[in-house]
Parts: sequence; C-alpha cells; structure tokens
Amino acid sequence: MLDKPASAMRLRERLLDSERLMDETGCYDGITELSLRNQDPLKFETLHTKLRAYCVSAREMARRISASPGVREVGEMVVAIYTPEGDAIALSNGIMVHVHTMSRFIKWMIKNGYEDNPRIREGDIFANNDAFIGTVQVPDVMDVVPIFYEGTLVGWAGAVCHELEAGGITPGGDVCLAQERFTEGLFVCAEKIGENDEIRRDYVIRCERNLRMPIYWVLDEKAKVASCIDMRESVKQLISEIGLDCWMQVSKEFIEEGRRAQLARTRQLTVPGIYRGHTFYGHVTAGKPGFQPLGDPDWLYNIPIEMEIGTDGKITMDFEGTQPWGYHSMNCTPAGMDGGMFVTLTQHMNFEGLVNDGAWMATELKLPHGTWTNPDNEMVATATSWALLLPAYGVFQRLLSRSFVARGYVEEAFVGQVNSPMIEMGGESQYGTPFGMAHFECAAAGSGALAIKDGLDTAYVGWNPESDMGNIEVWEQSMPMVYIGRSIVPNSGGAGKYRGGCSFVSTWLINKTSHLRLHTSEHSSRVFDNGGMCGGYPAPTCQKHRAVRNSNIHELAAKGEPLAHAPGTDPHVSDYERNIAGDHVVVEGPYITAPHKEGDIFSHSYNGGGGYGDVLERDPVKTAWDVENGFLTREAADQVFGIVLKDDAEGYPLADIDATVKRRAAMRKERLAKAIPVADWIAAERGRIEKADFAPEVRKMYASAIKLSSRFTRDFSDFWNVDARSIFTPGAKP
Amino acid sequence: MTSYSKEIIRDLASGQLPWPQTRRIMSAYKDDDRFFKMVAVYQDRVAWNDPILLPVSDHLFICQSGDERITRCECGHSFGDYRKNWKLKAAIHVRNTEETLREIYPNSDLPDPEWMEIREFICPQCGTLHEVEAAAPGYPIVHDFEPDLEGFYRDWLGKPLQP
Ligand SMILES: [Zn+2]
Repeated sequence: MLDKPASAMRLRERLLDSERLMDETGCYDGITELSLRNQDPLKFETLHTKLRAYCVSAREMARRISASPGVREVGEMVVAIYTPEGDAIALSNGIMVHVHTMSRFIKWMIKNGYEDNPRIREGDIFANNDAFIGTVQVPDVMDVVPIFYEGTLVGWAGAVCHELEAGGITPGGDVCLAQERFTEGLFVCAEKIGENDEIRRDYVIRCERNLRMPIYWVLDEKAKVASCIDMRESVKQLISEIGLDCWMQVSKEFIEEGRRAQLARTRQLTVPGIYRGHTFYGHVTAGKPGFQPLGDPDWLYNIPIEMEIGTDGKITMDFEGTQPWGYHSMNCTPAGMDGGMFVTLTQHMNFEGLVNDGAWMATELKLPHGTWTNPDNEMVATATSWALLLPAYGVFQRLLSRSFVARGYVEEAFVGQVNSPMIEMGGESQYGTPFGMAHFECAAAGSGALAIKDGLDTAYVGWNPESDMGNIEVWEQSMPMVYIGRSIVPNSGGAGKYRGGCSFVSTWLINKTSHLRLHTSEHSSRVFDNGGMCGGYPAPTCQKHRAVRNSNIHELAAKGEPLAHAPGTDPHVSDYERNIAGDHVVVEGPYITAPHKEGDIFSHSYNGGGGYGDVLERDPVKTAWDVENGFLTREAADQVFGIVLKDDAEGYPLADIDATVKRRAAMRKERLAKAIPVADWIAAERGRIEKADFAPEVRKMYASAIKLSSRFTRDFSDFWNVDARSIFTPGAKP
Repeated sequence: MTSYSKEIIRDLASGQLPWPQTRRIMSAYKDDDRFFKMVAVYQDRVAWNDPILLPVSDHLFICQSGDERITRCECGHSFGDYRKNWKLKAAIHVRNTEETLREIYPNSDLPDPEWMEIREFICPQCGTLHEVEAAAPGYPIVHDFEPDLEGFYRDWLGKPLQP
C-alpha cells in the first residue's frame, strides 16, 4: 500500500482521473483557471525559477560524481521534477529528450500496480532503461525517487545519464549489432534498485558482472541518486515554506501554463497549414561479420512526415507511410519518438517561459502501429534508435522552419539536425584491463544552416542543445587510441546561400593494446539522411570509414617523415593511402570488423548540416574566408558556388567579384539549359515506375510502404497515375 | 511590446544585420508586428505590384493577382494557383549519376544513385534554385506546404482576406 497518497484516491486512480479531466476540459488535470498565477504572477514565476535552479544545480553537482567522460565532459545527463502522476514540472539543461521519457516510466509504474508491489515508499529508488516502458535506448538509464512530504506523495525527482557501456553484443552504449532485444545489453525494467536512499548491493553486483566497464554505470547511478535526493530535499524545503496545498496547485498550474504557452507560441511564430517533408536512411551490412541472417542485410527506409498546424495552435506530426520495424537496432518506441519531439520543441519554441511537459501536451504524434516508429513487437531492438530520431526530427525542424519563414521570423529558421554517427569500442585497454565505452565527441556535429547565416561548425547535436565534443586528452585517458588528427571536413556542410555547419574528422593511432574492437552506430549509408531548404543542398553524409592495419607509422615517425592526419579531399585516394604503408581498408556503412591492434590507424568523420537558399547567392567574401580556413575547397567554391578566387599578395584566396558575377550569370543559363519542365520529367519517369525499374532495396521500400499505408499507396498512385499496388505488391490482397 | 523598424527587419531578412544585433533579436521577446513588416520588406524587393499574402520560400511568395491567389517567383514568374504544388510548374534538373552528383560534391563520398537522386527545382524564367529534394528514385515530388491562408488571416492576424 502506498503510504498516504496526496488525495484519498490511490495513485493509479488519481492518474486515470487526471487523464479523464484532460480529455473532458482540454486542460491539464482539469486546471481551467490559473488562479495562483493570476493572484500573484511574480510569485508564480519565482517559484518556477526556483524549481529550475534546483534542477540545474543538482545536475551540475551530479556531473562531478560521475566517472564517465560522457557525463563529466559532454554533459550526457538531465534531471527533472515531476507531479505525483509523473508529469514534468521543471527540468535542467542537458539531454532534455529524456524529460518526457521519464514521465512515461513513472506513469508505467503507477499503471502497473507498483503501489501494491513492489510498493512506492519514502527512500525508494526505481530505475529503468527499457524503451517500451519509457526511455530511448538501453544506455539511457533513468532513476526516479518519490518525494514524500509528511507522509504524502507530492512528486518525483528523476535523473538520466547516457551510459558509455551497456553490456550488449558489441561493446559501447549504442549496440549497433543488436538485432533483437536479447542482444542489446543489461536491461533494468522499472526495477526498485534501492531503499532508504541506498542502492542495493545485489543490483550493483549485477551491474559489475554484466558490463564491460561497470565503473561508468555504477558511479552514474550514484550521481543520479544524489541529484534526485538533492532535488527532493529542495522541494520539501520549498513546501515547508509555501504549504502543501499551494505546492499541489502551483505544480499543476505550471504544466497547464506550459501547455497554453506552447499553443500561444505556435500561433505567434508559425502559419497554420499542412507541411510535408521526408528523408531516408540506408543500411549496408552484407558480408559484414556478426550479423545474423534475420532480415535483409541491406535496406533503405523512407521517413515521410506530414505536420499539421491547426488554428488552435496544436502541432500534429504524422509518420504514415514509413517502414515496418526490422531485425536491426534502429527501431524506436513511442517513448523515444515523444522524447525527440520534446527536445526539438525545447530548442525551437520553448526557449523562454516555463519549459515542462505542458509543451508536449500541446502536440500530437501519429505513429503508425507496426512501423519502426511504433513496433507492434516488444522484442525488437531499439539500441540505436537515434538513427531514426535524428533524421526524422531534422525533417521536423525544416517543417517548423518553413513556418517561421512564412511568418517572417527568419532568424528562427534552421535547416536542422543530422545524424551524428558514433564510435563504440571495447576489448583490452591501454592499462591491460578489460574495457568498453562509447566515444562521445559525436555530440558536436555541424548544424543545418539558418535562413540568415551559416550553420554552426562542430557545435550542434539534436539530442543535447548544450553541444560539446570533450577534450582530446580526456578521451585519450579512457581508450587505447591516441589522436593523430582532428580537423574540419571541408565541404561537409550542405551548399547554399548559407552553408550548413561543417563537421570534423578524427584520426587515431591504436596504442598499447592487442585487442580493440571498433564499431560505429547511427551511420546512414548510400543516401543522405538530411536535406537542405529553400534551394540549399543536403550535407554529404555518406562518408566511408578508412583504416590502415599494420601501418608503418612508427617507422615514418622515427625517420621524421610526414604522416597523414586526415583523409584529405580526394574521394578516390585518401592521404592515408598516399603517405602511410599498410593494409588499407575502406568500409561503406557501419564499421564492424575484426579487432584492431597497436599500430593500426582508424578514422571517423561526423556529419555537417544542410544548406539554405540558392548557392549562387552566397557571399563571395565569406567564401574566400571559408577556403582560407579549410571549410570549403577551392574546387567547390569554383564549381558549386560559382565564385572565382584569385590569390592576394600573400597567397591567400581573394574573391574576384566581377569575374564571379559573370561566372554565375553563365551558371544560371547553364542551369536553365540543362533543366526540363517537371511535367516532361514526370511523363518520362512514368515508364520506369510502371516497370518498377529500381534497385531491389528501393522496390522493397515501396512495397513495404504500400502494404502498411493506404495513404502512401494513394499518393503514389495519384502522383504517377499508376496502380502502385499492382506494380510493387502483385498478388497481395488489397 | 517589442517592435523593430522596417530597416532593421529588411537587414535581418537579407542577412546584413550585424550578428550582435541579430543575436539580441533572437534572445528578445518576439515583435508581434513582424509579419506585415516583413511582407512590406518583400514587397519593396519585388518589381511587381500584386500584394504579397505569404512568403513560402526564400524567393517565392503567395500573392493576390486579380481574383486569383498564385505562387510567384521574385522575378515575377507565376507558378499558378497557390493551392497547387508550385514544383509541378517548375523546371527540374535531376542528378542521378555519379558524374552529376560529383559536380555538387567534388570532394566527398557520394550517395548511390540507385538509392538516391538530387532533384533541383528551378524557376524557368530567372533560373533561381528554389528547392532541392534528396529522394529515392521514383519517390513522388513533395508538396512542401499547403498554408491555411484564410484561417491564418482570419483567426491569427484578425484581418480576414476578402473572398
Ligand atoms: Zn524566377
């Protein structure tokens, strides 16, 4: 039995009642009047600011307990305070994607009878990393503690850290080789892991015996519990000052205010209507070791999104037409999809005012059952669901940005996030001990362009607005590799009037180990998984991996000869191949190979963002600066941007404005000469459609979308004036 | 209430406003009179007289043209009824070979043209590149935006459009 719930009603009934009130009144928990806010708006704001301060300081304190460079350096953590029913009232900065996933976790426990067994008592600690209960992926381990005030449950404090090692089939956090739930790593399924503010010894032992690098996970647990206790005590102190009745009322008004503010902001910043966009994700694993033959080794998924903004200010996002779930790690649960929506909203619309679950309540996600956005099978793997989330919410950002441009708020338009592929590793460390970790420098990708300026270079990632790549020296302490290069990738931002932000590439020398497993996750292959906007091009995100086994780098270094510190700008021959002898490896798509050993070289590049506007309008002076600083090659400046550069007296690139104007006029003419009317193109393509003359993966993609979605089938058939069903799914029942 | 001069909005739209000032605008409460000021800035930019009702891309506007509402390029070219997808009246250049993709991505690893093509939607009159789609071959052209123009003017701007 729960110890004295806030009302006479049991928590489960209270939660259902709260949902009923929302349905009936349209307002959170039936709060139709913001009476405390109206009585004293200043006090209202002050109280919320206090709650936010509790969260921010609890997170900062906890980051200093953690041992993980992911949490300490990169800030892969978030904390929040919830109502007894599990709705977020206030949150910290950090990986805000999890504020709403934790809400789902709390509600799941309430709905599943946790009041009776295992019971919810003061001092209890509950943990979860099961995405079907409420998180994104296994490494996102969340802890919550109930907040009791004089015996009454008055809320919850929660914290999430992204773990660098999850004990799955491949080392690291994002277990790229997981093809089913059973290979994703150590699951903690809404489990009571502690009592009386203490984590149970048997739980710690389970972690120690099932993880490759338990120190990260276990110390992160301690950090999270410390932050929860800190927030809990702060909230109790606050209640002792303002009274329990005031707390119970004001915490709900904060959420209702958040909901209303989100609707108002949509009406203020956007234009109502229907917005559409899409992106794609490609996966190439044929012939790679370790993959079980459970599904197609190579596949292409479409991610179409239709966003509707109603005149009431509600935003609805519909993923109809996307692909079924598969035997791979890139599926996502509704909790993860919710989280992606939440973190995107916090960046684009909720940058002021009360940020909490109210914003999420002013939106709706339509996730077709059975697709990789909402699998109808809870055995599927979701270990790398960011592979879906980042491209999908990049589309959402472009759709929202179209509405900002239409409304005149051009400074808010942003071409959006891209996938930021990760490196996972494990084996024997440089200290001769077993180890495993994820490298988190990926949290500093290039962003999409803005409608008024270039994107951010190496300073943005969708899941954490507080982007940080961490210090090289700290990463080197944690892994048996040393950096021999970390540099900007020229042309990695999509071209446009404003270019996308550029990404970087790292090159490592494997050091002091005879067994290092390196894998990459969330890496799209054969297609760009992002787009440009208003004439901007997508960023080139199909990078291959380049490695050198048995390299002669130590001999070169001994002789003082030049090494290679980056792949270079020749897509056909890398600088590694030019300067370093050894067995050269080029891998398309996820990097999964036999272990590396000392003396090998490995490189990995991250993604830039899409461009905005017509490339022929780009500022030639900025372009000269880009070339000088390695963000753009001369070749691209000339051939893509139409900018003629000459050298100044000291050999630096200088834009020749007159020659550029002439060259661009010629390029515009050339463009028109090459282009044909869209109607002619459609007529010409139609024959190819009728014959389904596509690569097998493309045909399969259409067949799957047609089987799952009557709308996709209708739209496809109408557009091409064909019967899509008979072309792609002959013999199937309509 | 926050409000900026038309000159500031003009410079903001053209990317000419100094960054510290832009940054202050981004951080401040939004100026609620922005929409009509921005429309006025665009109206000054175009050589034609049809009143602009809504910007829909960097150089595309929905405007009132006699009894019709059409999508018009900054150069004046009409893409027809605004409720129809303007892309269907555009010129297109598709990059679906390694050679043509290489023109845009000279130093990068390329997508597989069998899996993805780049479609450029171009104004047939002035050659402006209005939109780029990266899509699998055979994927229907996307209708990016169907604004609820009436609802917007009536419910959000409080200035219903004349029928
Ligand atoms: Zn034009």
